[in-house]
Amino acid sequence: MIPPLGESPAVTLSKRFLLYLTLGLLSILFMLPFVWMIKTSLMTAQQATTAPPEWIPHPFRFDNYVVATKAIPFWLYTRNTLYVAIMNVIGMTLASAFIAWGFAHYRFPGRDKFFAITLATMMVPFPVLMVSQYAIFRDLGWIGTYKPLWVPAFFGHAYNIFLLRQFLLGVPRDLTDVARIDGCGELRIFLQIIIPLIRPALLVVALFSFMYHWNDFMAPLIYLTDEKQFTLALGLQSFQSRLGETAITHLMAATTLMVAPVIALFFLTQKTFIEGISLTGLKG
Amino acid sequence: MKDYTPYIIVAILILGISALFIPRDLDDMTDDGRVKIRYWEKWTGFEKDAMEAIVDKYNASQDKVYVEFISTSQIDRKLLLATAGGNPPDIAGFWSHAMVSYAEKGVLYPLDSLMERDGLSRDDYVPSIINTCVYRDFVWGLPATPATVALHYNKDSFREAGLDPEKPPTTIEEFDRYARLMTKVGEDGNYTHMGFVPNDPGWWDQFWGVWFGAKLLSDDGKELLCNSPENVRAFEWYRSYVTNYDSEKVRFFSSAHRGQFASSSNSFMSGRVAMKQQGVWMANFIEKFGDGMDWAAAPFPSASYVTGGPATIVETDMLVIPRGSRHVEEAWDFIKFVQKQENIEELCLLQKKFSPRKEVSEGFYEKHPNPYIRMFRALAESPNAQAVPKTPVWIEYRDELGVAQERLWVTPPDKLSVKDALDRVKERMQPKLDLMNERWEAIGQQRLEEWSNL
Amino acid sequence: MTGEEKRALKYGMAFISPWIVGFASFLLLPMVLSLYYSFCDYSVLNPPAFLGGQNYQELVHDEVFWVSLYNTFYFALFALPLGTLTALFLALLLNSNIRFLGFFRTVFFLPSLVPLVALAILWQDILHTEYGIVNELLGVIGLGPFDWLGDPALAKPGLVLTTMWIVGNPVVIYLAGLQDVPRALYEAARIDGATKMQETAYITLPMISPVIYFNLIMGCIGVLQIFALPYVMTGGGPARSTLFYSMYLFDQAFAYLNMGYACAMAWILFGMIAVLTYSAHLLTNRFVVYGGS
Repeated sequence: MIPPLGESPAVTLSKRFLLYLTLGLLSILFMLPFVWMIKTSLMTAQQATTAPPEWIPHPFRFDNYVVATKAIPFWLYTRNTLYVAIMNVIGMTLASAFIAWGFAHYRFPGRDKFFAITLATMMVPFPVLMVSQYAIFRDLGWIGTYKPLWVPAFFGHAYNIFLLRQFLLGVPRDLTDVARIDGCGELRIFLQIIIPLIRPALLVVALFSFMYHWNDFMAPLIYLTDEKQFTLALGLQSFQSRLGETAITHLMAATTLMVAPVIALFFLTQKTFIEGISLTGLKG
Repeated sequence: MKDYTPYIIVAILILGISALFIPRDLDDMTDDGRVKIRYWEKWTGFEKDAMEAIVDKYNASQDKVYVEFISTSQIDRKLLLATAGGNPPDIAGFWSHAMVSYAEKGVLYPLDSLMERDGLSRDDYVPSIINTCVYRDFVWGLPATPATVALHYNKDSFREAGLDPEKPPTTIEEFDRYARLMTKVGEDGNYTHMGFVPNDPGWWDQFWGVWFGAKLLSDDGKELLCNSPENVRAFEWYRSYVTNYDSEKVRFFSSAHRGQFASSSNSFMSGRVAMKQQGVWMANFIEKFGDGMDWAAAPFPSASYVTGGPATIVETDMLVIPRGSRHVEEAWDFIKFVQKQENIEELCLLQKKFSPRKEVSEGFYEKHPNPYIRMFRALAESPNAQAVPKTPVWIEYRDELGVAQERLWVTPPDKLSVKDALDRVKERMQPKLDLMNERWEAIGQQRLEEWSNL
Repeated sequence: MTGEEKRALKYGMAFISPWIVGFASFLLLPMVLSLYYSFCDYSVLNPPAFLGGQNYQELVHDEVFWVSLYNTFYFALFALPLGTLTALFLALLLNSNIRFLGFFRTVFFLPSLVPLVALAILWQDILHTEYGIVNELLGVIGLGPFDWLGDPALAKPGLVLTTMWIVGNPVVIYLAGLQDVPRALYEAARIDGATKMQETAYITLPMISPVIYFNLIMGCIGVLQIFALPYVMTGGGPARSTLFYSMYLFDQAFAYLNMGYACAMAWILFGMIAVLTYSAHLLTNRFVVYGGS
């Protein structure tokens, strides 16, 4: 951070006042939609659709949340979403670390070429693959099951492999050499020495994988057909799309319920989160 | 010490991969040994409760089959994906408008042989209704409940405008005049009330031609008629509700008051729009959200040159068996149960619709909560009752017409004429239909045989 | 091959073997199949029938295909630069040695945590013609009301506006980039009497240009795939004004079951992304300063 140099205190003061004013106003602007969401979720349908908009619910309709959790059904969908997200977290962290170690530690012919190809796969977007993946999963009999949503995670993902490899390249070779001399097997080296070393990076992978699957919409939309299997994102969209049947207040209550856990998770893992994002954006 | 790492890894991989090929647990038996079949239904709210009551009745009536009722939104798309994915439900409650496309694509199971075996006949039903379930002379589903649409109007708005609430308009021209009389402008120059807004709720925007004697498809199914003079006329009329009023403000009014169908903010129930084209189910929503409003229903007026009776659209909520269902017999048993006069009338009473069967029990209409139910049923029997055009390109055709409609709604007439907009729909869709027809020429015979043998 | 090399090969391959399987079955195979299907008439329900280049030919004449491309690029053209500017502006503000940095950063970051489906539903209401807050705020300065999602001319700007709310990720990234700029550079500039503006223009921006560049490419690739937001918010309407490329692809595949056609679209999308990435790569060699060294 840069200390303010060579400016007179008066100028600095007024400048800083302006700075805080701008920041304050922008903060209000950025928080407004959240306020909107919560206030609508607590209103009667009548009050939520009056113009000009009102801000204080009268009366407070906490009942909207009860209606929303029943209509979606919220708890079932939360369970489904958690299942998909957790399977992905397990698969993605384990597989990516495993594969990244292979790319980072062992010097074998063709490794760098294959790694370059791996990196290139990051440029292949999901819409390119979805049609033929659907056909493949269909032949496996996986449509209408959760498998298409989590099985691929157990085979790693280029981006996470790349990320973890960056960390693993920093592991001194002496460490593994010593372990080997002590008679450690390769798997044991990986599990007992390497994994603990890169725990912060694994946390990032786990967190982002969780977030991605908590929010994911397109893949569940294609692969999940039975309403009982839906994830929250799908359930919310389905709730919204019931032809005119859904009151905006119930919809907002459901929306709030879906947003709240993510926000909570953020506050619990803030440090990892911010580090993770800085990490993902800085290196090309 | 020998290191087994690579072998362990390979073993885990092989185990993992082979575990994935173990067949899914199909879960098609209940604990007490009944066959469990899955029934997806598009309804929510009171219509869902009604069907659930019938499902419960069926489950209680025998001990071989258990129907699991699952409420499913956007059922067209989900049924398509599930069937294409090889994992469909055993029964689906589905709209007749998607039937033709799906039948031709091989998503549905024809019911003719089952009907014949168990003595069900097309003659048991009102012709216009069973007609919505038939394509290429096969029956692809049987009615759950049918519906027709009619004019619903607010009697108080009529009175306020000095109109006789017992005399609904009988021609389109009269209708337009009434709509104008019931439109009110507020102090700020914006519309506060409107007599009529044609794209609200927008569920049958493609069909206004029905009231102008138009058809969307030629009788032989080979030509799209969306740009016929009658259709152009209908779409001109549709657009006149923007061009004959303050265009900007009508658009604004329509955007602001559309949506929120099942609530007291509904434009009709809140008194903001005096006249609406709505289905037989509307009475139920008015009762729930209308706060005691004084309303009436009548056939929606046709253009004065249309003869032969009142016009309407017939739609059927139908029960179908998707291809790939593992329990066709059991699914059919349930459908058969619903078709019994006693049961279908119970369902129709609960859903507040009319019966699709020709025979109606004594007392059905007396018990019925909708005071206009006979009129809705009579509409279904009118010679001018039209169904969704039977063409395999309907879903795309409908979307394309919808886009034309939206363009006409927002574009001034000097920039886009109705004829041009509809010509464009035809230009885009006719080749697709031709392609479908060509393909049918090639494989039609084979398909027909395949269907007869299913 | 020496014993050491053999060992490395054996273990290396063992460790990366899941990826080889995953790469082959979830990437390579689908790509090959998708290329094959793109030359076929394929509905999933029936086996694919070879058509030759007909799908691609039809695509060229498909008006809606062009509309969806136009919409996608229109959206990218506004959403990306505006988003980058907003994010940079916020990051620069946050980088001014302020108190409560953590608090402000959290405030700007929180919106980007909102799941897209929830975001779409929330903003549908916020942009509502009659009682939405955007029209209410604009009304204060005498603008509007606008029929955001009902008017084909305003629907895309409405979506762009929505995405302005979720710039949290780039803000955090740019902020991290800004804090990495060596202080010595600023100190030197101050000795030379540079103003704040000059510092920003000649030091800060060039130093974080690789970060901006990387985020722009990722943004481009992201926009080409934009799906959930418009799908839930507008369904592609009104009058196809928000029908984006991925949505049309999705419709062709899963609403009309024209899987072959959809695969042809997928390959065109892939081609566009490849070209985009490559040309961005060429450009950087000329314009982007890679800092530090």
